[in-house]
Amino acid sequence: MTAVEKVLAKKSGKAALRAGAVANPDPDFIMIHDGVVMGTKRELDSLGIDRLAAPDKVIMVTDHDVIYGSARAAERGAFNRAAAKQWGVKQFHDVGRGGHGHIFPMETGLLLPGMFYFDNDRHATNAGAIGAFGFRMGGEISRVLATGTNWVIVPKTVRLTLRGRLKPGVHARDVGFHISSLFGRGALDADLDYRVLEYAGDLDQFDLASRTALCSSPTEMGAYGVFVPPSEAILARARSVAQRPFAAVYSDADAVFEANLGVDIGALEPQIALPGGVQKAVDLAQVAGKRVDHAFIGSCGSGMYEDLQQAAAVLRGRRIADHVRLFVAPGSEASVKRMAREGLLQVFIDAGAVMLPAGCGPCNDAVIGPVHAGEVSISTAANNNSGRFGAKDAQLYLGNPSTVATSAVAGRITDPREFLDREAAPA
Amino acid sequence: MNDFGWKLKGRCYRLGHDVPHAGGVVPNWVIVGRHFDPKDVVPQLFAETDPGFHERCRPGDIIVAGRNFGMGPKMNGYIAMQALGLGLVCESMPFLAYRAAIGCGVRTLTDCINATELCETGDEIEVDFRNGFFVNHTRDIRREYPPVPDALQEIIALGGNAGWLRQWWRDRQAAG
Repeated sequence: MTAVEKVLAKKSGKAALRAGAVANPDPDFIMIHDGVVMGTKRELDSLGIDRLAAPDKVIMVTDHDVIYGSARAAERGAFNRAAAKQWGVKQFHDVGRGGHGHIFPMETGLLLPGMFYFDNDRHATNAGAIGAFGFRMGGEISRVLATGTNWVIVPKTVRLTLRGRLKPGVHARDVGFHISSLFGRGALDADLDYRVLEYAGDLDQFDLASRTALCSSPTEMGAYGVFVPPSEAILARARSVAQRPFAAVYSDADAVFEANLGVDIGALEPQIALPGGVQKAVDLAQVAGKRVDHAFIGSCGSGMYEDLQQAAAVLRGRRIADHVRLFVAPGSEASVKRMAREGLLQVFIDAGAVMLPAGCGPCNDAVIGPVHAGEVSISTAANNNSGRFGAKDAQLYLGNPSTVATSAVAGRITDPREFLDREAAPA
Repeated sequence: MNDFGWKLKGRCYRLGHDVPHAGGVVPNWVIVGRHFDPKDVVPQLFAETDPGFHERCRPGDIIVAGRNFGMGPKMNGYIAMQALGLGLVCESMPFLAYRAAIGCGVRTLTDCINATELCETGDEIEVDFRNGFFVNHTRDIRREYPPVPDALQEIIALGGNAGWLRQWWRDRQAAG
């Protein structure tokens, strides 16, 4: 069996499950974010359903609209707190008490290798970074909350082998952009719709933050799950914070994959996703020099401490260009504390960045730090579809955290190696 | 559930490949405006590609679409199809579009190879969604397609997710 088949079989109480089978897995937990609690609660209330199947399993997170920028948002926050109380949800990571729901559970040992959970949000695919699975239910999260489960069809798995080691200045997000462009133009010949993309190959070079980055772009290409088989380093990190025992799961040697693909990443250059989608990725050199107005570092794809560390390495001792505004949204409250402790916060502030609370930042529907019509943005957002964070006619470019930081300083899209090489050069 | 109308007989309404939900099934403003009330969405079904469709179609008519129908995990158009009593047969759908159609209680078959080559708009066709039998009476063509999986039939028979959840809660209450 593949990893996803094994995890779903285990959670469904079956000896085996194959792709295409219908299952009703019993999740390790159920996640719902602040943006959809109100609609879900009202739906269940209208049906007379006043209690949840397993309130102890429910994790509510406030990450989409953390700083209420409107009276409506404040009303929603109050509604969510009342809902948590009425439902008896104890694991409520409200404002300032957790961070991004697709990041902090991996850091705190809530989400561990081999686990399975339901989520209303599609970026639950991040679970693959630690060797787990999170399935998006959208509006059907109401059924999961009421009954404790929901039907799923076991997805097929596409295996992608990464060969080679990334050059300095090239990041796992660049790998995601690059493979999205290959899938987009058919150079990697597989359909990702409702598939699990399972990575293989030279994966030991990727830490948890990089593995999280590897999960991001395939999700935008339609993958329902992404799976990075956990290395010994990932298992050790998980063990150090685990809140309960866990057992990592790997695909069997005779597992059936829908496709077996490979890509060389040793010569990969920093990538930029042009406005309109992660699949529109090109080598950064093709758009170098493009003037930018807005920059953002964070999101479910690039919000871990190590991502911020990479950006800080560029920003240390520098200031962003006068015409640029740079927003930074760390992925977790724990990262914010560590940034303060280890001096990163000072680096960002001295560089002229605006620190946002842990969470989704502008990447959620522009509730904070949006772009204006005609502006150009470069960010690490999950995607750059038109209007993702503000005016529909703004141009949204994506890059890795170092690229975004470098471009914010230069005021133009700039290869991070221009700064990093300068520092590495002998005096 | 056995009394449910799993077999539809009506006119074919044929569509091409890659029909997006936004624009192709319902106007984008219906999706963005989060309109889910059947009385609001029914008049908007295929409104941009075939104005007045909702007045001409009859319960039992079957939409036969090509590959990649209904891109985007949106429910609006399926709410209209369910309210109008229409069936849906596709050569393929993105999974989340399929899930949305089932969740709205639409009798749906997907992975129906070359279905659009077997019929024209206006043909009299008959589809049994429980066993996958497809008949074009006008052209005397028969095919057998993958049926609605057993595990999902109850959701459709109860009118979609909300109906299923309502029944589940009633049963639970009755059981004490």
